[in-house]
Amino acid sequence: MTNAVPLAVLRSRIRRIERPATAVSGVLPFGVAVLDRALPGGGLGLGALHEIMGEGGDEEDCAAAAGFAAGILARIGSGAVLWCLRRPDLYGPGLAAHGLDPARIVLVSAARDDRVLWALEEGLRAGRGAGLAAVVGEVGRLPMVAGRRLQLAAERAGVAALVLRRWRSGGEAAAERGRPSAAATRWRVSSRPSAAVAGEPGIGRPRWRVELLRCRGGRPAACEVEVADATGHVCLPAGLADRPAAAPRPAAGPLRRAG
Amino acid sequence: MTAEAGRLLLAAVDAAAAAMGLAPGMPLADALSFVPGLATRPAEPESDRAALARLAEWCGRYSPWTAPDGAAGVKLEITGCAHLWGGEAALAADLSRRLARQGIAHRIAVADTLGAAWALAHFAAAEGAPALPAKIREAVAPLPVEALRLDPATAAGLRRVGLKRVGELFPMPRAALARRFGETVARRLDQLDGAAPEPLSPLGTAPTRRVRLSFAEPIADPASLAAAAERLAGDLVPWLAREGVGARRLDLGFHRVDGRVEHIRLGTARPSRDPAHLAKLLTARLDTVDPGLGVEDMILAAYAVEPLGPEQVEIRPQAGGGDLAPLADRLAAGLEPDALAVLRARESHLPERASATAPFGEGAPSAAAENAAKPPRPVRLFRPPEPIEAFWLLPDDPPFRFAWRRRRHLVAQADGPERVAEEWWQPGQDMHRAGLHHEGAIRDYYRVEDEEGRRFWLFRSGLPGHEAPPRWYVHGVFA
Repeated sequence: MTNAVPLAVLRSRIRRIERPATAVSGVLPFGVAVLDRALPGGGLGLGALHEIMGEGGDEEDCAAAAGFAAGILARIGSGAVLWCLRRPDLYGPGLAAHGLDPARIVLVSAARDDRVLWALEEGLRAGRGAGLAAVVGEVGRLPMVAGRRLQLAAERAGVAALVLRRWRSGGEAAAERGRPSAAATRWRVSSRPSAAVAGEPGIGRPRWRVELLRCRGGRPAACEVEVADATGHVCLPAGLADRPAAAPRPAAGPLRRAG
Repeated sequence: MTAEAGRLLLAAVDAAAAAMGLAPGMPLADALSFVPGLATRPAEPESDRAALARLAEWCGRYSPWTAPDGAAGVKLEITGCAHLWGGEAALAADLSRRLARQGIAHRIAVADTLGAAWALAHFAAAEGAPALPAKIREAVAPLPVEALRLDPATAAGLRRVGLKRVGELFPMPRAALARRFGETVARRLDQLDGAAPEPLSPLGTAPTRRVRLSFAEPIADPASLAAAAERLAGDLVPWLAREGVGARRLDLGFHRVDGRVEHIRLGTARPSRDPAHLAKLLTARLDTVDPGLGVEDMILAAYAVEPLGPEQVEIRPQAGGGDLAPLADRLAAGLEPDALAVLRARESHLPERASATAPFGEGAPSAAAENAAKPPRPVRLFRPPEPIEAFWLLPDDPPFRFAWRRRRHLVAQADGPERVAEEWWQPGQDMHRAGLHHEGAIRDYYRVEDEEGRRFWLFRSGLPGHEAPPRWYVHGVFA
């Protein structure tokens, strides 16, 4: 316990030597200890590329992944979000329920994965100069080279890049699912049966299973959470249905500097 | 050669065939008896029309107002354009020379009215010798009455009473002519000498501003084309500045030596007259242009302009707020002009109307979204809704099982129904395309959760008890 502080200082110093941009851009904590402890710097790196995928049938739609991304975006500043996709089926009111104001989104439709990736890179290059808080792309294929370019561009811009892996068929999913990429983290988010609310029939409090499959400089983690609320926060389930509904949240501002 | 009423007729003949006495409209059997071994091809009116439209577009190098005319003509409004070529005669000579080089047989007439130009081009001008009459009436008087653009029956009617020449009609009272032969004859006569107006309907919308660059030698290499595009952008900007406007839509035409015209068309997120910005947008798209054997003219036109004050011209990303417009233009230029969109909330009960995409940059404010009172909405909405195979017990129940995209789902939990009635005062769009039956103007929405925990937004179209059984659709998925 006594050398915990110097160790943390050393770690951040090493990180700053290795990846100066990430250290400068700051991190976004989830407010869920299991996740924040697993991530280097105690939160999601802002100047970095993050991969999010769905599970099972949702690999095609990435609905849970989109909701999870919306929660993250809700807590990254207030700038515009460039959302590049091939099939424009995002629904504003649904995103708003997870905290992301639809008015912040600029949708970019492209015909092919490589055009989506190109648009993402252009967005990162314009970065904060264009008032962007983050860029989001929905692609099936994320080649290593393209991923590395995005990661570098995100570092340089200090803008977060989220890539939702959206596969059109089981075959494509099987081929791509395990392939390594240059992203800083890889997440898998899937819908889980909701927890019944006492005295109310039907669907209760919906949940996600959030898995941090891969994390550079961190370690894998997984937990079940209640879906992002209208402020973009996820929280651990209250456990029992008769507990108070509201879980404690971090009182401080959502952004914390690393190092 | 074309088929008509079961006979094969000649549709068109070339010069050699015409010299042997063949003419369009002649039956093929007759033609073959005149010229045994005549080479024939089936007529292709479609591609002829397309070629004529291309030719009209190519003529855009002389004037912004061009349009195909009939089956074989092109009309040009050259008012205010001729001085650029050193006069009408020089313009006509240049046009004639270039057409001849492309191997296009042609007759050209320049006149004060469309009617006169048409008459002279069809009945007076000779190949390679443009007709430029000083006095229209004298020039058209000896022409046959067909030169008035009359239908064959009217022309035949005139001939029957001995009126064979246009000049013979001039002294006759217009009212009598109209009574005897129809309004057309009188109107055509008036249009001939300009007494009645005849506007030219051009190929597209006329541009607000255009600038042109011609090259002594055709150019084809990308660097020269890029340099030319930059220069044109620089030439266009002073025009825009003088009028206090910025361009919203641009069209850069590349007139190739083979007579084809290639285009770069793009829009800007907001009015712009920054030459560097416009040049960057244009050059970014150069790789989509095939210069062929070379480009001899480039024309840059601004089609839509909007007021732009002098202080707004400088488009540079500022430190704090940030400006999306340059990025938006770059993305639109690299993808499709309509690739960018925003999500706009509207007052509507119909889910697909309550939030829809709108083109980026058209800054109408979106209606205030008050989602707090609304029941949960999905993060993804399918347009159109996808039909599913559903099984249910009671008429008002949600399905207990359904199949969607070759996958079976057992419903564990469900919420609903939420009834949505089609807005009968709005014309239906999505729903009818999806093949939803119209008496099913009522939809009952259910939020269901399957055994794995995935949540779907289903609806039943049509009322239970109706003669057509209700149908089920999945409209969206929840996160």
